[in-house]
Amino acid sequence: MTSFLTAVENTAFATWVRESSSLLAYPAILFLHTVGLGFLVGLNAAIALRLLGFAERIPLAPMVKFYRVMWIGFWINALSGTALLAADATTKITNPVFYIKMGFVTLAVVNMVLIRRRVFGNPSLDLSPVTGGAKVLAVLSLVFWTGAITAGRLMAYFGPVSGAPGLKNRIP
Amino acid sequence: MIQSFSTWLHSTRLSWAVAGGIPWIWPLCETLHFIGLALLMGIVSVLDLRMLGMAKELPLGPLQRLMPWAILGFTINLITGALFFTGDPTQYIHNVAFGFKLLFIGLAGVNVILFYVTGLYRRVDSVGAGHDVPAAAKVAAAASLILWIGVMYWGRMLPFIGNAF
Repeated sequence: MTSFLTAVENTAFATWVRESSSLLAYPAILFLHTVGLGFLVGLNAAIALRLLGFAERIPLAPMVKFYRVMWIGFWINALSGTALLAADATTKITNPVFYIKMGFVTLAVVNMVLIRRRVFGNPSLDLSPVTGGAKVLAVLSLVFWTGAITAGRLMAYFGPVSGAPGLKNRIP
Repeated sequence: MIQSFSTWLHSTRLSWAVAGGIPWIWPLCETLHFIGLALLMGIVSVLDLRMLGMAKELPLGPLQRLMPWAILGFTINLITGALFFTGDPTQYIHNVAFGFKLLFIGLAGVNVILFYVTGLYRRVDSVGAGHDVPAAAKVAAAASLILWIGVMYWGRMLPFIGNAF
Protein backbone atom coordinates (compact mmCIF):
# COMPACT_ATOMS: atom_id res chain seq x y z
CA MET A 1 0.00 0.00 0.00
CA THR A 2 2.70 2.43 1.04
CA SER A 3 4.72 1.63 -2.08
CA PHE A 4 1.66 2.30 -4.24
CA LEU A 5 1.05 5.65 -2.53
CA THR A 6 4.72 6.55 -2.92
CA ALA A 7 4.48 5.63 -6.61
CA VAL A 8 1.44 7.91 -6.99
CA GLU A 9 3.28 10.73 -5.25
CA ASN A 10 6.29 10.22 -7.51
CA THR A 11 4.40 10.43 -10.81
CA ALA A 12 5.42 13.40 -12.91
CA PHE A 13 2.01 15.03 -12.43
CA ALA A 14 1.88 14.65 -8.62
CA THR A 15 5.45 15.89 -8.33
CA TRP A 16 4.64 18.89 -10.48
CA VAL A 17 1.52 19.74 -8.42
CA ARG A 18 3.50 19.51 -5.17
CA GLU A 19 6.88 20.93 -6.08
CA SER A 20 6.49 23.31 -9.01
CA SER A 21 6.97 26.93 -8.06
CA SER A 22 4.39 27.85 -10.73
CA LEU A 23 1.20 29.51 -9.50
CA LEU A 24 -0.59 27.17 -11.93
CA ALA A 25 0.39 24.13 -9.87
CA TYR A 26 -0.65 23.69 -6.21
CA PRO A 27 -1.91 27.29 -5.72
CA ALA A 28 -4.27 27.27 -8.75
CA ILE A 29 -5.61 23.80 -7.92
CA LEU A 30 -6.26 24.83 -4.31
CA PHE A 31 -8.02 27.98 -5.58
CA LEU A 32 -10.24 25.90 -7.90
CA HIS A 33 -11.09 23.65 -4.93
CA THR A 34 -12.28 26.77 -3.06
CA VAL A 35 -14.35 28.11 -5.98
CA GLY A 36 -15.99 24.70 -6.42
CA LEU A 37 -16.78 24.65 -2.68
CA GLY A 38 -18.31 28.13 -2.86
CA PHE A 39 -20.71 27.20 -5.65
CA LEU A 40 -21.48 23.60 -4.62
CA VAL A 41 -22.00 24.19 -0.90
CA GLY A 42 -23.31 27.72 -1.30
CA LEU A 43 -26.09 26.80 -3.73
CA ASN A 44 -26.97 23.73 -1.63
CA ALA A 45 -27.29 26.05 1.37
CA ALA A 46 -29.46 28.54 -0.55
CA ILE A 47 -31.86 25.74 -1.56
CA ALA A 48 -31.85 24.30 1.99
CA LEU A 49 -32.64 27.72 3.52
CA ARG A 50 -35.57 28.17 1.12
CA LEU A 51 -36.89 24.67 1.98
CA LEU A 52 -36.68 25.58 5.66
CA GLY A 53 -38.99 28.52 5.09
CA PHE A 54 -36.69 31.51 4.59
CA ALA A 55 -37.60 33.85 1.67
CA GLU A 56 -40.78 31.79 1.38
CA ARG A 57 -42.15 33.64 -1.64
CA ILE A 58 -39.39 32.25 -3.89
CA PRO A 59 -40.98 29.60 -6.12
CA LEU A 60 -39.01 26.40 -5.56
CA ALA A 61 -39.41 24.67 -8.93
CA PRO A 62 -37.12 27.01 -10.94
CA MET A 63 -34.35 26.59 -8.36
CA VAL A 64 -33.72 23.11 -9.80
CA LYS A 65 -31.78 24.90 -12.56
CA PHE A 66 -28.99 25.63 -10.09
CA TYR A 67 -28.25 21.89 -9.98
CA ARG A 68 -26.25 22.30 -13.17
CA VAL A 69 -23.93 24.81 -11.44
CA MET A 70 -23.81 22.61 -8.34
CA TRP A 71 -22.67 19.64 -10.45
CA ILE A 72 -20.03 21.81 -12.15
CA GLY A 73 -18.81 22.75 -8.65
CA PHE A 74 -18.83 19.08 -7.67
CA TRP A 75 -16.72 18.01 -10.65
CA ILE A 76 -14.27 20.90 -10.25
CA ASN A 77 -13.75 19.69 -6.68
CA ALA A 78 -13.63 15.98 -7.51
CA LEU A 79 -10.87 16.67 -10.07
CA SER A 80 -8.94 19.28 -8.07
CA GLY A 81 -9.32 17.13 -4.96
CA THR A 82 -7.90 14.12 -6.79
CA ALA A 83 -4.89 16.18 -7.89
CA LEU A 84 -4.31 17.45 -4.33
CA LEU A 85 -4.67 13.88 -3.02
CA ALA A 86 -2.18 12.52 -5.58
CA ALA A 87 0.33 15.23 -4.65
CA ASP A 88 0.26 14.21 -0.97
CA ALA A 89 -0.98 10.61 -1.25
CA THR A 90 1.10 9.14 1.60
CA THR A 91 0.12 11.79 4.12
CA LYS A 92 -3.54 12.28 3.15
CA ILE A 93 -4.53 8.61 2.74
CA THR A 94 -3.13 7.88 6.19
CA ASN A 95 -5.00 10.80 7.78
CA PRO A 96 -8.18 9.59 9.56
CA VAL A 97 -9.77 13.04 9.11
CA PHE A 98 -9.61 12.53 5.32
CA TYR A 99 -12.06 9.60 5.66
CA ILE A 100 -14.38 11.68 7.83
CA LYS A 101 -14.36 14.35 5.11
CA MET A 102 -15.07 11.80 2.36
CA GLY A 103 -17.86 10.31 4.49
CA PHE A 104 -19.54 13.70 4.86
CA VAL A 105 -19.06 14.53 1.15
CA THR A 106 -20.65 11.19 0.16
CA LEU A 107 -23.61 11.72 2.50
CA ALA A 108 -24.01 15.31 1.28
CA VAL A 109 -23.98 14.35 -2.41
CA VAL A 110 -26.42 11.44 -1.89
CA ASN A 111 -28.63 13.86 0.06
CA MET A 112 -28.40 16.42 -2.77
CA VAL A 113 -29.57 13.76 -5.27
CA LEU A 114 -32.42 12.80 -2.90
CA ILE A 115 -33.56 16.46 -2.75
CA ARG A 116 -33.41 16.56 -6.55
CA ARG A 117 -35.59 13.43 -6.85
CA ARG A 118 -37.93 13.62 -3.87
CA VAL A 119 -38.46 17.39 -3.60
CA PHE A 120 -37.88 18.80 -7.10
CA GLY A 121 -39.36 15.65 -8.67
CA ASN A 122 -42.74 16.54 -7.20
CA PRO A 123 -44.81 18.18 -9.99
CA SER A 124 -47.05 20.02 -7.51
CA LEU A 125 -44.05 21.33 -5.56
CA ASP A 126 -45.15 24.97 -5.29
CA LEU A 127 -48.86 24.20 -4.84
CA SER A 128 -48.54 22.88 -1.28
CA PRO A 129 -46.37 23.73 1.74
CA VAL A 130 -42.88 22.20 1.95
CA THR A 131 -43.24 18.72 3.49
CA GLY A 132 -41.62 17.68 6.75
CA GLY A 133 -39.53 15.17 4.82
CA ALA A 134 -38.14 17.90 2.57
CA LYS A 135 -37.24 19.97 5.63
CA VAL A 136 -35.39 17.02 7.13
CA LEU A 137 -33.37 16.68 3.89
CA ALA A 138 -32.63 20.43 4.02
CA VAL A 139 -31.33 20.22 7.60
CA LEU A 140 -29.23 17.16 6.66
CA SER A 141 -27.81 19.09 3.69
CA LEU A 142 -26.62 21.91 5.99
CA VAL A 143 -25.25 19.41 8.54
CA PHE A 144 -23.40 17.22 6.00
CA TRP A 145 -21.80 20.13 4.12
CA THR A 146 -20.77 21.81 7.40
CA GLY A 147 -19.21 18.50 8.42
CA ALA A 148 -17.38 18.18 5.10
CA ILE A 149 -15.97 21.74 5.33
CA THR A 150 -14.97 21.29 8.97
CA ALA A 151 -13.20 17.97 8.35
CA GLY A 152 -11.54 19.36 5.21
CA ARG A 153 -10.16 22.32 7.14
CA LEU A 154 -9.02 20.18 10.06
CA MET A 155 -7.03 17.82 7.81
CA ALA A 156 -4.31 20.46 8.06
CA TYR A 157 -4.20 20.09 11.85
CA PHE A 158 -4.62 16.36 12.51
CA GLY A 159 -2.62 13.43 11.23
CA PRO A 160 0.61 13.64 9.22
CA VAL A 161 1.87 17.01 8.00
CA SER A 162 0.59 17.61 4.48
CA GLY A 163 0.21 20.39 1.93
CA ALA A 164 2.65 22.13 -0.36
CA PRO A 165 6.22 22.39 0.94
CA GLY A 166 6.82 25.57 2.83
CA LEU A 167 3.09 26.07 3.39
CA LYS A 168 2.89 26.67 7.10
CA ASN A 169 -0.67 25.54 7.72
CA ARG A 170 -0.18 24.48 11.29
CA ILE A 171 -0.06 26.66 14.36
CA PRO A 172 3.60 27.00 15.38
CA MET B 1 1.79 53.95 11.61
CA ILE B 2 0.56 50.58 10.33
CA GLN B 3 3.79 49.08 11.63
CA SER B 4 3.34 50.46 15.15
CA PHE B 5 -0.36 49.50 15.16
CA SER B 6 0.47 45.94 14.17
CA THR B 7 3.25 45.76 16.78
CA TRP B 8 0.76 46.90 19.43
CA LEU B 9 -1.90 44.49 18.13
CA HIS B 10 0.57 41.61 18.24
CA SER B 11 1.36 42.40 21.89
CA THR B 12 -2.29 41.97 22.98
CA ARG B 13 -3.56 38.93 24.81
CA LEU B 14 -6.12 38.30 22.06
CA SER B 15 -3.32 38.09 19.48
CA TRP B 16 -1.48 35.58 21.67
CA ALA B 17 -4.65 33.48 22.03
CA VAL B 18 -5.47 33.45 18.29
CA ALA B 19 -1.91 32.73 17.17
CA GLY B 20 -1.71 29.47 19.07
CA GLY B 21 -1.83 30.47 22.74
CA ILE B 22 -5.22 28.75 22.72
CA PRO B 23 -4.55 26.18 19.99
CA TRP B 24 -8.12 25.47 18.78
CA ILE B 25 -9.01 29.12 18.03
CA TRP B 26 -7.11 29.36 14.71
CA PRO B 27 -8.52 26.11 13.21
CA LEU B 28 -12.01 27.03 14.45
CA CYS B 29 -11.79 30.46 12.80
CA GLU B 30 -10.54 28.88 9.56
CA THR B 31 -13.48 26.49 9.54
CA LEU B 32 -15.94 29.33 10.19
CA HIS B 33 -14.22 31.41 7.48
CA PHE B 34 -15.00 28.68 4.91
CA ILE B 35 -18.58 28.26 6.15
CA GLY B 36 -19.05 32.04 5.82
CA LEU B 37 -17.50 31.88 2.35
CA ALA B 38 -19.98 29.19 1.25
CA LEU B 39 -22.95 31.13 2.63
CA LEU B 40 -21.88 34.39 0.99
CA MET B 41 -21.01 32.78 -2.36
CA GLY B 42 -24.22 30.72 -2.39
CA ILE B 43 -26.58 33.66 -1.98
CA VAL B 44 -24.49 35.99 -4.18
CA SER B 45 -24.41 33.42 -6.98
CA VAL B 46 -28.17 32.71 -6.81
CA LEU B 47 -28.89 36.44 -7.19
CA ASP B 48 -26.17 37.15 -9.77
CA LEU B 49 -26.87 34.09 -11.92
CA ARG B 50 -30.60 34.93 -11.95
CA MET B 51 -29.85 38.53 -12.96
CA LEU B 52 -27.59 37.18 -15.72
CA GLY B 53 -30.51 35.12 -17.04
CA MET B 54 -30.31 31.73 -15.33
CA ALA B 55 -33.52 30.30 -13.79
CA LYS B 56 -35.44 33.27 -15.17
CA GLU B 57 -38.71 31.94 -13.73
CA LEU B 58 -37.50 33.22 -10.34
CA PRO B 59 -38.96 36.63 -9.42
CA LEU B 60 -36.21 38.94 -8.11
CA GLY B 61 -38.17 40.49 -5.21
CA PRO B 62 -38.52 37.29 -3.15
CA LEU B 63 -34.99 36.23 -4.13
CA GLN B 64 -33.52 39.40 -2.60
CA ARG B 65 -35.02 38.33 0.75
CA LEU B 66 -32.10 35.86 0.95
CA MET B 67 -29.66 38.78 1.31
CA PRO B 68 -29.51 38.64 5.16
CA TRP B 69 -27.81 35.22 4.81
CA ALA B 70 -25.15 36.69 2.54
CA ILE B 71 -24.64 39.49 5.08
CA LEU B 72 -24.36 36.86 7.84
CA GLY B 73 -21.71 35.00 5.81
CA PHE B 74 -19.81 38.24 5.20
CA THR B 75 -19.99 39.19 8.89
CA ILE B 76 -18.67 35.78 9.98
CA ASN B 77 -15.75 36.27 7.59
CA LEU B 78 -15.11 39.85 8.65
CA ILE B 79 -14.85 38.78 12.30
CA THR B 80 -12.76 35.65 11.68
CA GLY B 81 -10.61 37.56 9.17
CA ALA B 82 -9.99 40.31 11.74
CA LEU B 83 -8.99 37.61 14.23
CA PHE B 84 -6.44 36.13 11.76
CA PHE B 85 -5.01 39.61 11.31
CA THR B 86 -4.88 40.11 15.07
CA GLY B 87 -3.12 36.78 15.53
CA ASP B 88 -0.23 37.60 13.21
CA PRO B 89 -0.45 41.13 11.72
CA THR B 90 3.06 41.12 10.27
CA GLN B 91 2.29 38.30 7.84
CA TYR B 92 -0.48 40.40 6.29
CA ILE B 93 0.70 44.01 6.28
CA HIS B 94 3.58 43.35 3.86
CA ASN B 95 1.60 40.80 1.84
CA VAL B 96 0.71 41.80 -1.75
CA ALA B 97 -2.07 39.20 -1.93
CA PHE B 98 -3.63 40.61 1.25
CA GLY B 99 -3.61 44.11 -0.28
CA PHE B 100 -5.38 42.83 -3.39
CA LYS B 101 -7.85 40.86 -1.28
CA LEU B 102 -8.82 44.01 0.64
CA LEU B 103 -9.02 45.95 -2.65
CA PHE B 104 -11.38 43.37 -4.19
CA ILE B 105 -13.56 43.28 -1.03
CA GLY B 106 -13.68 47.08 -1.21
CA LEU B 107 -14.67 47.03 -4.89
CA ALA B 108 -17.33 44.38 -4.22
CA GLY B 109 -18.62 46.64 -1.42
CA VAL B 110 -18.72 49.67 -3.72
CA ASN B 111 -20.62 47.54 -6.24
CA VAL B 112 -23.26 46.67 -3.59
CA ILE B 113 -23.50 50.29 -2.40
CA LEU B 114 -23.97 51.56 -5.98
CA PHE B 115 -26.64 48.89 -6.50
CA TYR B 116 -28.62 50.41 -3.61
CA VAL B 117 -27.95 54.15 -3.94
CA THR B 118 -28.56 54.30 -7.69
CA GLY B 119 -32.04 52.84 -7.12
CA LEU B 120 -31.11 49.75 -9.14
CA TYR B 121 -32.12 47.65 -6.15
CA ARG B 122 -35.72 48.91 -6.33
CA ARG B 123 -35.92 48.44 -10.10
CA VAL B 124 -34.58 44.89 -9.78
CA ASP B 125 -36.90 44.16 -6.85
CA SER B 126 -39.94 44.54 -9.11
CA VAL B 127 -38.62 42.27 -11.89
CA GLY B 128 -40.99 39.32 -11.97
CA ALA B 129 -40.76 35.77 -13.28
CA GLY B 130 -39.58 35.49 -16.89
CA HIS B 131 -38.41 39.09 -17.19
CA ASP B 132 -34.94 40.52 -17.76
CA VAL B 133 -33.31 42.86 -15.24
CA PRO B 134 -32.06 46.25 -16.55
CA ALA B 135 -28.72 46.08 -18.39
CA ALA B 136 -27.03 48.02 -15.57
CA ALA B 137 -28.06 45.28 -13.14
CA LYS B 138 -26.52 42.64 -15.41
CA VAL B 139 -23.24 44.56 -15.35
CA ALA B 140 -23.44 44.77 -11.54
CA ALA B 141 -24.18 41.02 -11.32
CA ALA B 142 -21.22 40.10 -13.55
CA ALA B 143 -18.94 42.47 -11.61
CA SER B 144 -20.13 40.95 -8.33
CA LEU B 145 -19.35 37.37 -9.40
CA ILE B 146 -15.92 38.32 -10.77
CA LEU B 147 -15.02 40.39 -7.70
CA TRP B 148 -16.05 37.74 -5.13
CA ILE B 149 -14.23 35.00 -7.06
CA GLY B 150 -11.28 37.42 -7.06
CA VAL B 151 -11.55 37.78 -3.28
CA MET B 152 -11.30 33.97 -2.98
CA TYR B 153 -8.32 33.99 -5.36
CA TRP B 154 -6.35 36.56 -3.37
CA GLY B 155 -7.29 34.86 -0.10
CA ARG B 156 -5.97 31.55 -1.40
CA MET B 157 -2.81 33.24 -2.66
CA LEU B 158 -1.94 34.66 0.80
CA PRO B 159 0.64 31.89 1.43
CA PHE B 160 1.86 31.60 -2.17
CA ILE B 161 2.23 35.14 -3.50
CA GLY B 162 2.58 36.54 -0.01
CA ASN B 163 4.03 35.01 3.12
CA ALA B 164 0.99 34.21 5.25
CA PHE B 165 -0.20 30.77 6.33
